[in-house]
Amino acid sequence: MTITTNIAPKFDEEEFSRRPATSKLETALTLAAGTAISLYGILRRDWFGAAFAGGGGYLLYCGIADLRRPYQGRVRVGFTILKPPDEVYDFVRNTKNWASGLHLIRLERNNDGGSSVRVGGENALGLTSQIEVTDEKPGEFIAWASDARMIEHRGVVHFKKAPGDRGTELSVALEYKAPTGPLSRAAALFAGLDPEQLVRENLRHIKQLMEAGEIPTTAGQPVGARGVRGTAERIMFREHPVADMQAERLAGD
Amino acid sequence: MKALCWRGKTKLEVEHVSDPAILNPRDGIVRITRTAICGSDLHLYDGYIPTLEPGDILGHEFMGEVVDVGSEVTRIKKGDRVVIPFTIACGQCYFCKHELWSACDNTNPNAWMMEKLYGFSGSGLFGYSHMMGGYAGGQAQFARVPFIDVGALQIPEGLPDEQVLFLSDIFPTGYMAAEVCEIKPGDVIAIWGCGPVGQFTIRSAFLLGAERVIAIDRFPDRLKMARAGGADIINYEEVDDLVEELKWMTAGRGPDACIDAVGLEAHGTGIASAYDYAKQRLKISFDRPTVVRQVIQACAKGGTVSLPGVYGGYLDKIPFGAAFGKALTFKMGQTHMHRYMGRLLKHVEQGDIDPSFVITHRLGLDDAPDAYRTFRDKQDQCIKVVLDPWKETVAA
Repeated sequence: MTITTNIAPKFDEEEFSRRPATSKLETALTLAAGTAISLYGILRRDWFGAAFAGGGGYLLYCGIADLRRPYQGRVRVGFTILKPPDEVYDFVRNTKNWASGLHLIRLERNNDGGSSVRVGGENALGLTSQIEVTDEKPGEFIAWASDARMIEHRGVVHFKKAPGDRGTELSVALEYKAPTGPLSRAAALFAGLDPEQLVRENLRHIKQLMEAGEIPTTAGQPVGARGVRGTAERIMFREHPVADMQAERLAGD
Repeated sequence: MKALCWRGKTKLEVEHVSDPAILNPRDGIVRITRTAICGSDLHLYDGYIPTLEPGDILGHEFMGEVVDVGSEVTRIKKGDRVVIPFTIACGQCYFCKHELWSACDNTNPNAWMMEKLYGFSGSGLFGYSHMMGGYAGGQAQFARVPFIDVGALQIPEGLPDEQVLFLSDIFPTGYMAAEVCEIKPGDVIAIWGCGPVGQFTIRSAFLLGAERVIAIDRFPDRLKMARAGGADIINYEEVDDLVEELKWMTAGRGPDACIDAVGLEAHGTGIASAYDYAKQRLKISFDRPTVVRQVIQACAKGGTVSLPGVYGGYLDKIPFGAAFGKALTFKMGQTHMHRYMGRLLKHVEQGDIDPSFVITHRLGLDDAPDAYRTFRDKQDQCIKVVLDPWKETVAA
């Protein structure tokens, strides 16, 4: 099969960079070594030292460039669903199911007939990108790619018969490029936009809808007064706030 | 409605909260007629289970009358009298289809929490922390029961609540603990802990054909109840070396299966126990695995170690060399409730066992905060507390 995974050139954007993202440790070591070597070079105050300072300076430049580079990440998540591959494929391909089942991911039809995907909420944290199915084999895989605006992503959804009587292996492998530094990535993480967890929870929802017929929930069930600690923990665990469920004290307590 | 809410470590309060509503099409609502306090609720009470939040409604052993069902519910009808299993199962996933109900894939809305801690998530549980689903529990006047068609056990006319209530957890839990030992004629079974689960394990072992059951505890009233169930008893505080004592009682063979019906808040004697206490106190460890060490050490060669007791984290100083050297089999986990409920209801109907023997306290919901303390400290010869959530017992 040929899976074309980039539609960016169509929009005159640069090709998805092949260079893998560096680790934090690598960046830190580069910066530390750069600082040390250039300081040593400057303190020597001779021609040999100048060469050291030059080398150290280059390392510093690389380290800082690493910090500013758009973040690239990869996500690989698989779920096994106790249904035949055709059924799982039809369920995923039917965009109506996206609205009922998917969390924080929305598919929109554009005026020009294309589609775009919006990741995140309605607020400023949402990111929209135009997508195109670049390759597809019904019942086996769907490959997509996005344009290079905002968050750039491309990947493949695979539908594979699981061994024995275990149903279908539904998997998503994608790579993305986020135009953000470490700080805004941390903010996105806090808002529940960790790409891997987002993919994982949405695949889980598909599995739950297909197998159990519903997505399990506790939002709206009765609770006692949460207090300060309980409320803080709910925010930390990112649980759904439960409205108008205020408890009153029992007389005599 | 009134519900028992956790407010923090050893702090409980009965609060007025809103009534539960149908949230999903396969839900049902039960008006609770009887509910019980489980030994594992004490781990929540004492704050040993992470991700329990103030305001959570406790309780996972309950039964009652169905007052409402969702649009996709077909088997259970309004007015049915039902016992609810403490594990929630969807009935449609690979694990449910293979009778591994407590490993259900689709019932924990907070599966990610358990995945972070344990790698995988089990089924959702009632009233047992957010990691286990965060479902409101059954020490209340009403409860919402997800997938009610799959779980609820219909109770025929004529059986009183107290005889069937324990089909919601402790009877199947005790039974599974014995069943996984694959008891053969002539087998001697040793059971640590004569609390409610231990008592049912003793009786289940006999139902399954055990030759002899040896029950271990330190409270005379619990040991007396164990003896009434046909077991030989050991008060571990009165013997020098428990393992040697068991070896002596079995003429050097050791018990063919050893069952830990105690769990993470074990008491013991000697240095090992003091070490476990210190570690738990310093929050280095959730668990005091005193009994796990003993069951491994005491078990006969080729025997089975069964752990119905709850553990939460990383256990320390476990004699794995002994386990390997003796080729032991380990069995553990949350009870696959749905597998046993119907089978055990038959035993109750036929009069093979009357599960109400274990009840020592019958109280109202308002007494629950005090009852937890009484139960934990084993005051007042407390073994099992049953609550009637509609009984008016508010003291001014």
